[in-house]
Amino acid sequence: MNSPAVLLLLIALPLLAAPLTLCLRRSGAWLAGLTALALTLLITWLYPARPFNNVLVFNQFGPWLVLDGLSHLVLITADLTALFIIIYAAAYAGKYRAPSRFFSLFLLLLAGLNGVALAGDLIWLFVFLELAALSAYLLVAFEGGRDQLEASVKYLLIGEGASLLILVGCALVLRLTGTFNLAGAALALIGCSSRLKTAAALLFIAGFGTKAALMPFHSWLPDAHTAAPAPISATLSGVLIKVLGVYALARVLFNVLGGSPPLSLALMALGALSILAGVLLAFGQWDFKRLLAYHSISQIGYIVLGVGLGTPLGLMGGLFHLFNHALFKALLFLNAGAVEQQTGTRDLKEMGGLKQRLPVTAATSLLASFSIAGLPPFNGFWSKLFVIIACVQAGQLWFALAAVLGSILTLASFLKVQKYAFFGRLKDQFGDLKDVHWLMGTAMAALALLCLLTGLAFPLVTGYLVNPAVIALANGTGYARMILGGQL
Amino acid sequence: MNILLWTIFLPIGASLLCFIFRRAAGGAALIVSAVGLALGAKIFLAGQLLSPLLALRAYPFSASLYLAASFLTFLIVLYSLKFMAGKERLGEYYGYILITLGAAAGAFFATDFLTLLMFWGLLGIPLYMLIGLGGDGAGGAAKKALMIVGGADALMIIGIGLVWCLTGTLRVGGALLPLEQPLTVIAFFCLLAGAFAKAGVMPLHGWIPAAAESAPAPVLALLPASLDKLLGIYLLARLCYDVFLVTPNSAVSFFLLALGSLTIMAAVLGALVQHDLKKLLAFHAVSQVGYMVVGIGTGLPLGVAGGLFHMFNNAIYKSCLFLCGGAVEFKNGTTDLSKLGGLAKTMPLTFAAFLIAAFSISGVPPLNGFVSKWLIYQSLIELSKINAAWIIWLAAAMLGSACTAASFVKITHAVFLGRSEAKAREVHWTIWLAPVTLAALCVVFGLGAYQLPLRFLIAPAVGLIGLIGVWDPLLAAGLILVSLSVGLLIYFLGNVDALKTRPIFAGGEELPAAGKVSGVDFYDTVRQIRPLALIYRAGEKRWFDFYELSAALLRWSSAWLVRLDAKIPGIIPWLRRDRAFKIKLLGALIAAELLVEGLLLVSGVREILTGLAALAMVAAAFYLAGRLGGSYANE
Repeated sequence: MNSPAVLLLLIALPLLAAPLTLCLRRSGAWLAGLTALALTLLITWLYPARPFNNVLVFNQFGPWLVLDGLSHLVLITADLTALFIIIYAAAYAGKYRAPSRFFSLFLLLLAGLNGVALAGDLIWLFVFLELAALSAYLLVAFEGGRDQLEASVKYLLIGEGASLLILVGCALVLRLTGTFNLAGAALALIGCSSRLKTAAALLFIAGFGTKAALMPFHSWLPDAHTAAPAPISATLSGVLIKVLGVYALARVLFNVLGGSPPLSLALMALGALSILAGVLLAFGQWDFKRLLAYHSISQIGYIVLGVGLGTPLGLMGGLFHLFNHALFKALLFLNAGAVEQQTGTRDLKEMGGLKQRLPVTAATSLLASFSIAGLPPFNGFWSKLFVIIACVQAGQLWFALAAVLGSILTLASFLKVQKYAFFGRLKDQFGDLKDVHWLMGTAMAALALLCLLTGLAFPLVTGYLVNPAVIALANGTGYARMILGGQL
Repeated sequence: MNILLWTIFLPIGASLLCFIFRRAAGGAALIVSAVGLALGAKIFLAGQLLSPLLALRAYPFSASLYLAASFLTFLIVLYSLKFMAGKERLGEYYGYILITLGAAAGAFFATDFLTLLMFWGLLGIPLYMLIGLGGDGAGGAAKKALMIVGGADALMIIGIGLVWCLTGTLRVGGALLPLEQPLTVIAFFCLLAGAFAKAGVMPLHGWIPAAAESAPAPVLALLPASLDKLLGIYLLARLCYDVFLVTPNSAVSFFLLALGSLTIMAAVLGALVQHDLKKLLAFHAVSQVGYMVVGIGTGLPLGVAGGLFHMFNNAIYKSCLFLCGGAVEFKNGTTDLSKLGGLAKTMPLTFAAFLIAAFSISGVPPLNGFVSKWLIYQSLIELSKINAAWIIWLAAAMLGSACTAASFVKITHAVFLGRSEAKAREVHWTIWLAPVTLAALCVVFGLGAYQLPLRFLIAPAVGLIGLIGVWDPLLAAGLILVSLSVGLLIYFLGNVDALKTRPIFAGGEELPAAGKVSGVDFYDTVRQIRPLALIYRAGEKRWFDFYELSAALLRWSSAWLVRLDAKIPGIIPWLRRDRAFKIKLLGALIAAELLVEGLLLVSGVREILTGLAALAMVAAAFYLAGRLGGSYANE
């Protein structure tokens, strides 16, 4: 079992489970949940199997699937979050006529995400990226209403446009190096100073930046996240934009193209712009999910700012924030879904005093709000702290100030949510509300607990989970030597 | 486990129990805060203690602060047992109070900036939750408090980062930074924001009066009145003397003096015109902190001693005042000054405690508030040797003191004196015990100022203080007593009998039975004084509220951006175009795709195969997706 072929399982398992789920109809949720659990256990089990700070390579037709520190972080983030989202969805999707279809698509999405994180080849990265994105377009439209279809089509057009840019970037890399293989291309690109390389980098920034919803490329996100069913919004915001956007961008820019100061500066500027503009746009929203969607843009900014800095502390902050944001943003979208399901509205102005009727939802959303606003001892505090201190350390005081301002405005925006939705006087029409199904409650409570535990035990998480990822990214094109080590 | 760790983790652990076992929460909180007080006494007597975990260190200054904090927490929990009985969500109430105590211990004992920042930030959460426990309007006040406090904490991160980069260490007091370079000054101000927001120095004071409108009295007595002052001024003192070097006659010293004086005067002017007991006290909670900032801002040991002594004194009398206010509210159901009156007879113990604390805050000798103000005045006079602006600061401080006295005359009269039909009886002993203890402490700290607090609390922190004025509390108290007795003697020997009471003549009209002159409106005259009238009017429009101004700016910029964002050409307008356009769009997409394939084709055989496989998979995925998604719209 210790052969790298086990990596194949991470993709094959959800891919095979997807059609099975479709056959199972009503009990599809169980299969989906079990698959996610298996994936989470598998990726956790792989942790000791992978030599520390080293890579596990499935070497069939070249290094096809690669598990290094960065992939590992991303996979754990994705699968762990997906597990809780599926538990939640098991109750949430009960209202659909064909829930098995929902879970089947969800598993395809998960297969795509795992594939992107593992791909050692640009084309396979692209294929899995498309698989994940296509499932996402369909899931956004799942409820089939006017808003959903419109959002889905908008997402599809912008997303496919971005895919095209990425594909052109891949072609440029191929032109320069003669290979699609990440490691091979990285090796060939060392010392290359062609203009095509810069062009490829810009194409990747625009393409993956769109997938990540960085600021000028963000316009698809608010609609898609608002329209999608809550578990899907949680997946899109918590996992998808990070794996398809940030992970792929960081992998290609740092490990293949090798990064450069102007590129880093561009990333940081995009990150800071996203932080500030995202949070300002979020503040003006009254639709609970739309507000959260704009916050995703802003929080992605922190990740990109930290990664763009490129210093060990900055990478640490950015990647830790990637993990944390998956937890608390998924939780917040699940909260929004719970509120919408119980009250029938997403408008914050129509809510009020829900704390009295939805205690689990209210308590978990409070914890998640504290996490995203960066209050100690929750997890968001530490990752933002690292990012801000890393900015100061690198002498980028303005970026540090942007991050701090973003943090304050995030706090303002979430205190607004708390004030309007959960505090205050209970509206009469909500007098006989009951709290959500216990499965949904369990999923939310588990995520909230994880937010708190990650914050309290942050040295463990940063040391064992994030640090290998930081080393993998900071290694730059050394990545290639690590993978091809035996073949050189 | 280390005793310092106990001070943090015992209350925080116990708070979890409070959340779960709500009925036992009050008793548990009382026991835990008593243990906290015992630990505080033990640490205080031990002098120096270290804990490698979390890098904690107790030394006389921080130990004395923790002792004060745990003492006040214990008294206030005791007070709450009866005061809060029967209210909702008591488990949360006691739980958050215990979290506050534990986090405050962490903040006091931290020697590492990160530990400090963690506990400092953690304090915001129970503050938010405790204020939010108030009535329906509490959500806004809680939000305002956490916004100001939490926002300042976020700024502190930059300051800590800068200090780390400049000194290479995260230890508080690891290196002394002179305030010369711009970066150092930025770091100083970033950290200062954290201290000022907690203590409520203008312009970061807005959350205190807002909280007073809805939060329960013991919460006000514990947080804005005492614990947050202790914390904020503690950090200010550490910053000015352990981390940075604030020298007398420097620009930073000038800034602190000016801000402190402004806080004293502006807040006391705000207090003068309030009609609500709790809100009036809240303005004084802001005003008093100005004295501490002025004292510490002088940069002279005498001023620092005065500022720190005032911090302790303020915690005592301000808690006492809020607790008395709570007792009045408890028995009468209102804190509206115009509806209260004549409680001196029915609530004598509360009245006595309130009167002593009111004298103390107004700086009436020989009580403790006078001694600390006296030290601050002395330091300002000493400042006259090097700086000409001293007279302004001294004038502000003394005028502020006079206005404080004036506003307490108003409260005392409106609440306790005058006629009243109220039949309120004295409160339960657990409620009066706390204010009476604190009032007794005011007297002890006043009479024995040099023997007790200055010697045991202040001297270990700032070293020996060279006093320039002469003040013998016992002698002065004796003289005051003598003069009072003489006055009483004259009163009784004189022709008091000649005084007669007559019914009020009001133009022949009968006055209603409840009619009384509360004297509250008399103070509205202040509003009409020419230059002040403008200031008050601007204040009512919230021109001075930093929070409201920023919120307005935020709302405006957010609305502007939302409009801008809607203008970014999205896909939607295209979709609404005609079919021919959509076909063109699709055609363009396919052409681009073909172009890419062409690029692929020219660059190698193996890669072509990979590329084709990829495209086949994409196509398969599209097909599958189409099959899966085809029937949604019908469902």
